[in-house]
Amino acid sequence: MANDNTKNRKAILVTPEVCIGCRACQVACKSWNQLPGIKTKNNGTYQNPPDLASAAFNIIRYSEVPSAKDPVRWLFVSRRCMHCDDAGCMKICPAPGALYRTKEGAVAFDRDKCIGCKLCVNACPFDVPRYDADGKVTKCHLCFDRIGAGMQPACVKTCPTGALRFGDRAELISTAKKDGFGTIYGEEDLGGLGSIYAFKEEPKLYGMTDDPAIPSSVVFWHTVLKPFAVAGLGGVVAAAAIHYLAVGPHKEEEEV
Amino acid sequence: MTEMVRKSSGDEILNHWVLAASCILLIISGYGFLFQTEAIGSLFGGFNTMKTVHNWVGVVFILSLLYSMRHYFTDALEYDEDDRQWFKVAGGYLSHKVKVPPMGKYNPGQKLYYLAILGAGIAIALSGFAIWLVQGNQTLILISHLVHNVAFCIFIIAVPVHIYLSTLANPGTFQIMVNGTLPLEVAKKRYPKWMKAAGKM
Repeated sequence: MANDNTKNRKAILVTPEVCIGCRACQVACKSWNQLPGIKTKNNGTYQNPPDLASAAFNIIRYSEVPSAKDPVRWLFVSRRCMHCDDAGCMKICPAPGALYRTKEGAVAFDRDKCIGCKLCVNACPFDVPRYDADGKVTKCHLCFDRIGAGMQPACVKTCPTGALRFGDRAELISTAKKDGFGTIYGEEDLGGLGSIYAFKEEPKLYGMTDDPAIPSSVVFWHTVLKPFAVAGLGGVVAAAAIHYLAVGPHKEEEEV
Repeated sequence: MTEMVRKSSGDEILNHWVLAASCILLIISGYGFLFQTEAIGSLFGGFNTMKTVHNWVGVVFILSLLYSMRHYFTDALEYDEDDRQWFKVAGGYLSHKVKVPPMGKYNPGQKLYYLAILGAGIAIALSGFAIWLVQGNQTLILISHLVHNVAFCIFIIAVPVHIYLSTLANPGTFQIMVNGTLPLEVAKKRYPKWMKAAGKM
């Protein structure tokens, strides 16, 4: 799977260090995807809406962290679907084609094929998919409609500082490393993410998940229970056939 | 005319087939979801319809399963020395030469099968309802997803065994689930302790 995707795989590179928290990416995303506004309350932060939502495919997370130099540091991280190569949502989804891989390596969705079971929401290591009012899955789809037409994703196109870049995944990583970013978050996680982050500091400081992973129950289900469901049924049918031929049916006469 | 004994009542037979039909529909659609099988989805008119069918047939299944308790539950909890002996000779299934101890209305294999189906059935129904109806509780949904699939594995092992043993492996058994009766002479051989208790021998 990984090898198919990594060739020509596209990605968004987020460089939180140069993000100014202007939220133009949020507006551009809403505009392109025709998403309605969400009524929210002031929770004492500029982060708004408070989390990803069915009408918010990306948000900037604002975090205030203690600092030695200043009283507090204000950190901005643009957050959206990570477009995992090994995607928990796609793994658990029971409806073919509801979540699918685009040829650029992104994870997109088809509302008509989604059956609204909500399993993807629970299998995502990053808490990304959301359900709309009709109970259908929504999330960032890496603007597959734009990039298919040779354009950049809406959020990247509008970013005024270069905190969001779009391009060939391998190139983005090597450029970021040359520019002195020691940690590329998502370079290897889950087979390599399609939303990667360039950090000079600890990703955890910016609220990034440490060692993201598909829930272990989902991995167990996929690697053990699914094969068992086929082998078990086949085995039982085979055992019955062998029993019938080798031992044969019950005979009344032989019983005393 | 051969004298017949009634082993299964009318409501038991009807309920058995409601249970069987719903169970098989659920297993088929379950495989469709498990492997995203387009062909199975098409049988139901698409995955959206299959989800609706799966959920509501599940309701029929659990109601039917709970109703079946009045037919089998008490018997399934009682085991005696002959039952222990029955396991030692593997119920006579592996060889026709061993002496199988006298049985009551149900042998311990059937009784344990019933308890397995009852347990797995309640587990698969409860977890199914959680996946269907609960939102915003990741731990509960993931546990339910696991329980639902483990119980599914129990079903796909137990149900074919039940079908084989009640048809090909034991000629004459199937008709009990059709008209509810079997010849007295056969009943005396197969279920001597039950026949004694009923005063027929």
